[in-house]
Amino acid sequence: MPIDRPIEEYRTVGVWFEDYKKQWAGRAEDLTSRLDILCRFCEFVGKDPDAIIQECLRASEGQTKISIKGRRFYDDKIREFQEGVEGDARLRVHWGNTVRSFLIHNGIFLQSGVQLG
Amino acid sequence: MEFKEVIGRRRSIRFFQPYRPVEREKIQIILEAARLASCSVNATFLRAIVVERDKLPRETLDALKTPVSATNLEMAPLHIYFYGDMGTVPRAKGQTLKQLVDVGALSSSQGWSHQFVENLVWPAILQPVYGNPATAGVPVAFDCGVAVCQALLAAFDEGLGACLSAFNVGIAKKVFDIPDDWLAIFALLVGYPAESWEAGGQRPRPPFEELYFEGKYGAPFERDESVVAKLTEAKMIQAPAPLPWRWDEIRALARAFGLPE
Repeated sequence: MPIDRPIEEYRTVGVWFEDYKKQWAGRAEDLTSRLDILCRFCEFVGKDPDAIIQECLRASEGQTKISIKGRRFYDDKIREFQEGVEGDARLRVHWGNTVRSFLIHNGIFLQSGVQLG
Repeated sequence: MEFKEVIGRRRSIRFFQPYRPVEREKIQIILEAARLASCSVNATFLRAIVVERDKLPRETLDALKTPVSATNLEMAPLHIYFYGDMGTVPRAKGQTLKQLVDVGALSSSQGWSHQFVENLVWPAILQPVYGNPATAGVPVAFDCGVAVCQALLAAFDEGLGACLSAFNVGIAKKVFDIPDDWLAIFALLVGYPAESWEAGGQRPRPPFEELYFEGKYGAPFERDESVVAKLTEAKMIQAPAPLPWRWDEIRALARAFGLPE
């Protein structure tokens, strides 16, 4: 199991919640219901949330930068994960975008492209 | 639309109706506006490749994207890829200035003549600056920016939305058969906005007095509030972002287009 404690205890999950709340201000939704989706993605890739974010970053000349390789890897993995969701297109998009939201609010720039379902 | 209102309504539109094409007539109007822009040496540096998104093979469209422009390039039905032709002045060798003398835009009453262009301006000024890519880039890019701005405003005047965007220059060079001496500028993405024309309100800008000075640096050009009121009435100065409903609008758009929050 890649997750050895309640998922909300991972640092990057806290960052996700905080940054999302800050950006969406009064319109922020409760993300607790989406934690299960993130858990499933973690199982899918065999990594915990902090490890996923870490793999999307790299250190360069004393600065933290986005790892193109890592970001691309997880971009592909999210698509793969999304395609495997049992349900209609809307549900698949929701699952994929939940994971994207986790990465985006941790500073990993991602764009899903239009998904009209 | 009145000129001041066009300036006031311009926003970088990032959500387009992906299914609604831009009429050919409007595309031409955008290009005509660019062609008439002010340009140094009367050298029209700007070149454009007009591309209908749906005529691009899927793999080409994907390859043209950069990490920050992927969704925009996908949503906008029309892309105008702008370039600066670095060879414009070296090829003309002063002819574009002589044209201005011939039509009376530059005249001997202000010291201009064919002889002056041939003997001094071309060999001593234009050739050294524009013949060297290291020094030509800035003036070429600047003039292209002026022309692109006119194109951008023309798009808004036609009721369209538009946004300047990065693109994968290397792929574009191959796909569009771009000459070696063209300098990639930006892509103008055009379409009918899927977001409201307000797009959440006018974007934040630094205070007027921090940007403009009178006489010398550090002495702010004083902003007259009665002028501000006049421009507000003329719709050039509009309500600042975020409008109260902006986040609801983004959420609605995100859900309509399957985008993350």
